[in-house]
Amino acid sequence: MRVLAMRAWRLTMPGLLLAGWLAAVPASIAGPSIDAAVFDDPAASGPVITENVHARLLAERSSVAPGGALDLALVLDIRPHWHTYWRNPGDSGEPPRIRWHLPDGVTAGPIRWPLPEPIPVGPLVNYGYSGRAVHLVALSVPAGWPAGEPVRVAAEATWLVCDEACIPERGHFELTLATAIDPSAGPSHVHTVRLFESARERLPRAGVVAATLDRGEDALTLRVPAAALPGRIDEVYFFPYEWGLVSHAAGQGWTLSDVDGADVLSLDLVPGEVAASAPATGLLKIRGGGADIGLRIDAGTKPGARPGDDAAKALPALPQTSGAGVVRGLALALGFALLGGLLLNLMPCVFPVLAIKALGLAGQGGARFRARALHGLAYASGVLVFFLGLGLLLLVLRAAGTAVGWGFQLQSPLFVTLMAYLFLVLGMSLAGAFTLGTSLMGIGGGTDQQTGHKGAFATGALAALVAAPCTAPFMGAALGYAMTVPWPGALAVVLALGLGMALPFLLLASWPRLARALPRPGPWMETLKQALAFPMFATAAWLLWVLAVQSGPSGLARALTGALVLAFALWVQERTRTARAPWPRVGAGAAVLGLAAALWLGVGAMQATGDRTDAGTVSRPAAARSALAAEPYSAAKLAAARADGRPVFVNMTAAWCITCLVNERVALRRAAVARAFAEQDVLYLKGDWTNRDAAITDYLAGFGRNGVPIYVFYPPGGEPRVLPQVLTETVVLDRIGAG
Amino acid sequence: MLRLPGIATLIALTTLLLALPAAAAPEVGKPAPAFTGTDTTGKTWDLARLAGQPVILEWTNHDCPYVRKHYGSGNMQALQKAATAAGYVWLSVISSAPGKQGNVSPAEADALTKSRDAAPTAVLLDPRGTIGRAYGARTTPHMFIIDEQGILVYMGGIDDRPSTDLADVEGARNYVRLAMADRAAGRPVGMPVTRPYGCSVKY
Repeated sequence: MRVLAMRAWRLTMPGLLLAGWLAAVPASIAGPSIDAAVFDDPAASGPVITENVHARLLAERSSVAPGGALDLALVLDIRPHWHTYWRNPGDSGEPPRIRWHLPDGVTAGPIRWPLPEPIPVGPLVNYGYSGRAVHLVALSVPAGWPAGEPVRVAAEATWLVCDEACIPERGHFELTLATAIDPSAGPSHVHTVRLFESARERLPRAGVVAATLDRGEDALTLRVPAAALPGRIDEVYFFPYEWGLVSHAAGQGWTLSDVDGADVLSLDLVPGEVAASAPATGLLKIRGGGADIGLRIDAGTKPGARPGDDAAKALPALPQTSGAGVVRGLALALGFALLGGLLLNLMPCVFPVLAIKALGLAGQGGARFRARALHGLAYASGVLVFFLGLGLLLLVLRAAGTAVGWGFQLQSPLFVTLMAYLFLVLGMSLAGAFTLGTSLMGIGGGTDQQTGHKGAFATGALAALVAAPCTAPFMGAALGYAMTVPWPGALAVVLALGLGMALPFLLLASWPRLARALPRPGPWMETLKQALAFPMFATAAWLLWVLAVQSGPSGLARALTGALVLAFALWVQERTRTARAPWPRVGAGAAVLGLAAALWLGVGAMQATGDRTDAGTVSRPAAARSALAAEPYSAAKLAAARADGRPVFVNMTAAWCITCLVNERVALRRAAVARAFAEQDVLYLKGDWTNRDAAITDYLAGFGRNGVPIYVFYPPGGEPRVLPQVLTETVVLDRIGAG
Repeated sequence: MLRLPGIATLIALTTLLLALPAAAAPEVGKPAPAFTGTDTTGKTWDLARLAGQPVILEWTNHDCPYVRKHYGSGNMQALQKAATAAGYVWLSVISSAPGKQGNVSPAEADALTKSRDAAPTAVLLDPRGTIGRAYGARTTPHMFIIDEQGILVYMGGIDDRPSTDLADVEGARNYVRLAMADRAAGRPVGMPVTRPYGCSVKY
């Protein structure tokens, strides 16, 4: 993860913290200076002048067409150093309210709130306005309204205005709008036009940006895709719509970083009184290059209340395609497992045995090929039976685990943490920091003496067991992978590993002359073993990155602490293994303690995401900065776009899916692809499967898949086309018919 | 050679680091923050000494329009009388700093109690805002209920109508009254945390 920019607002005094915002209140609107020209406008109410506020109700035009609408504005010009409040007033205060008195059929919409400012009051923070606050409300006139008949609008408004003391004030406003078929004929004062224009500029942008909120116990992390943000970001502030989600007075540290090939803005918030249940919605105010913009943020509804669920069920059955990608993925895994099995033979505790056996076989050159081959096959069967047993044990464990609700999937942060620990331990073992499974070394010495096929079978099974100290890391890696795939695949992977291990002996037994081609045992074996530690560490590092995406910095911190404690404990055990009593016992105790602490921390990493709301990590910006803007996948959106005859491109991805990330970089994020999408008005839907998501699982199942990536192009009115799992720019352009 | 205390220290440190951010801010279901305060007669009140009695804390500022709404309508006085009759110790707390709105001398506070026919057990003067900050009191009024065991069982607003309009007292859901009813019936408090509304506390 690349950190692009880092800023932390951790100042203790909210006053200092917020000084930046306050400094930017335009001086021109400070003070209740009624702009006389505005209020000459016929579409203005009489002024209401209170102790602290000069208020007016304005209409953007003096006439409205039947069946049309126009904007009204409640304008509050506030006394210097006093303020009024936003919809969520913050720690204290109350937002203005308007009660309308309108003719039958005429309706007024809700107040459209301009961007607020944080206002520090002692140790508290309020959200509101100083200078001038303009509250826009849309007024609709029914189509049946007789043209020429004026519309009389009356409103009772109440507002609270405070410096440190608070005064509730109210006003009664009346204005009359003419009605005409062509309302543009109605004169509108240039000052009025300007006031409405600038009021609209101070509204949040249209549309809602999908974000995610991690609700930890002590911290909330809001993540917003940077594609939805302006290019330049100097300051960021999140205003929740409702009380209780965040502590209003607390600082908000923010970072901009690169996650999953896309920039993400992360905000650290301090939870409010009801952070677990408050809606995760609000307004993000961004200052960049002196200008403020506001984005409406929706960080998801509660889990289980997915709006797209029903639509997913109503979707027509999708054509089944062969699971070619899955098969290819498995074939690759089998290949690696076979290779891994072959590598096992080069381990220091296997290779010398193999070499001796091979030389012994070469010595009995007289025996018939058939007999020798049978001997080799018996040995191979022995190895395979051992691995089969191991695989079955694994599947039983997995079934038991699933039954009690453990997820052996990369979507489960706990599983990811445990896998990271596993690979760390395997790597340390290979590097020689400590030894795994020495107690198995002593077994099976006797069986070596047995002769015949029965003896060969037992030797094979025991060779696999005895070699554990060196082979455990590799077996662990293969078994770890097997945990993540369905059972036939899992068994196949484990057996391929066994076959790989048995293969050299099988070949040597059949053709003893091959033994001469073998390298001699020597120190190179230890070097190889140590070098192989690094792929293990690399895997652990990758898993931790996946965890960081899933559970944020706090989850990552817990997992890293766990890894540290575990590594330290294993080191202590290794150093005390051969010491005098009672040290070995102390070492074993430390190992158990370290493992327990690591597990506890791992469970903590899972709980860090306990009530995570996942609304996808992709945005729905009105004007996205990214070349190729994606919307979060929902079955409803797909169905709607298909019904409209709009082409759709679906991309199902996950942070832990390396293929997905590579495809995005080399194909989907290319300018030519973005251009082709734009030309054809392709709706780009992206589903994030990093954490479990039932809607995406259903979608994948519809294509006979149980994993990501999957890329599907829906031409207007045509059958969906499934793209290959490895993409290039040309493939994408070709399939969407833009090649 | 590494010694056992080294490991213990490491684990202890790790645990401490992880547990550290969990301090601060009162939480419902946890022991209420301890405090001692002086009332208008000069008597010292210590929360620890009130064990065995339920306590209601009311942050107040007589010039705040939200407070005026509840005293002007007689709502707060009625609640105080009902609570003290039910065995609660009712402490009204004034955390306004000297020179700020609502800051009063002991004599002024007593005069206010008398003129408004208020019935708190005592009025605590907290001009340094010590008790207010310990409880994170943000508004006037801001209400807290502490049970006989010293556990905080309610914090938040007085009711669900955040306005200064006297007419809103009628028909509002008074959260403190509801919490007292829940406790009288042996139930846990149904709405233990609500949004406090009102003027800011003038620290």
